[in-house]
Amino acid sequence: MAANETRTRRLHRELQQLKTNALPGINVNEDISTSSLETWVINVDGASGTLYEEEQFQLQFKFPAKYPFDSPQVMFVGSNIPIHPHIYSNGHICLSILTDDWSPALSVQSVCLSVVSMLSSCKEKKLPPDNEFYVKTCSKNPKKTRWWYHDDTV
Amino acid sequence: MASNATEENASENENKSEPTPSSSQNENNEPNNPNFECNICLDTAKEAVVSMCGHLFCWPCLSRWLETRPNRSACPVCKAGISRDKVIPLYGRGSGDQTDPRDKTPPRPQGQRSEPENNGMFPGLDMGGGWHVSFGIGAFPFMFFANNVAGFGQAPAPGSPQAAQEQFLSKVFLWVALIFIFWLFIA
Repeated sequence: MAANETRTRRLHRELQQLKTNALPGINVNEDISTSSLETWVINVDGASGTLYEEEQFQLQFKFPAKYPFDSPQVMFVGSNIPIHPHIYSNGHICLSILTDDWSPALSVQSVCLSVVSMLSSCKEKKLPPDNEFYVKTCSKNPKKTRWWYHDDTV
Repeated sequence: MASNATEENASENENKSEPTPSSSQNENNEPNNPNFECNICLDTAKEAVVSMCGHLFCWPCLSRWLETRPNRSACPVCKAGISRDKVIPLYGRGSGDQTDPRDKTPPRPQGQRSEPENNGMFPGLDMGGGWHVSFGIGAFPFMFFANNVAGFGQAPAPGSPQAAQEQFLSKVFLWVALIFIFWLFIA
């Protein structure tokens, strides 16, 4: 009960901050993010001057009961999924802060910022080398994948 | 006179009390001062503790995070090392007389009191036994030296009662010194 209360209060605060201290290119999708605090969809714009300029993506956040002590489930959804060596074509993202390196001081906004930053540092649009195999075999929940974080360059 | 003064005070209080409700309303409208928000729950920190790296948390929030990852305890903000013993509780005024929520959560770590730096008159006292030894060796040669200088300065006539007295005294001091040194070796 107390845990859920922490989660609810914190999500309310985060939603408030996302609206009041909005960052350019990171907006809550009010249509899809219903009033329930279970699932949010954030519209993320590709940063200008990068390979993903003028593109818009949708990041889905699902918050576990133990949030913020447990990381949210984050993946790209919708029709446009960025082509990036760390993003699988089903929307799963290989990013350490989403599992091992999660910290409760991170927020929806900071995760979005990290994803945009990851996109921005990309030099060549290409799928991960094991994309086909992974997409066929993986779980629906990206957090169930045992990610191997090996490439810090992109 | 007295009644006048109280009236004045009362009117002043009224004047003062006017802005306070509006300011408290502002506080209600705006979120609390973000400088004092817990980095985990984003609320104003309750039972606040601060890490060595300077990051503020509610103790319930932080202790829960430390329990979540017991083998990798890092500051949620900067990933510096953090532990139960390395956070300092903050006691604001009036925070102590609220209900004690420590029944629910593990108790907040205690404040530590370290002794102030000792700049006293006897810095050597801290070293205990060493002090005696250094005193004994340092002082006695000085005493002999002083005797000699006195002898050169005003040599009393030999055979006079003054000279006899001084000789006696120097013998006494010599024996005292010898006994003291002997005692030092025994001890």
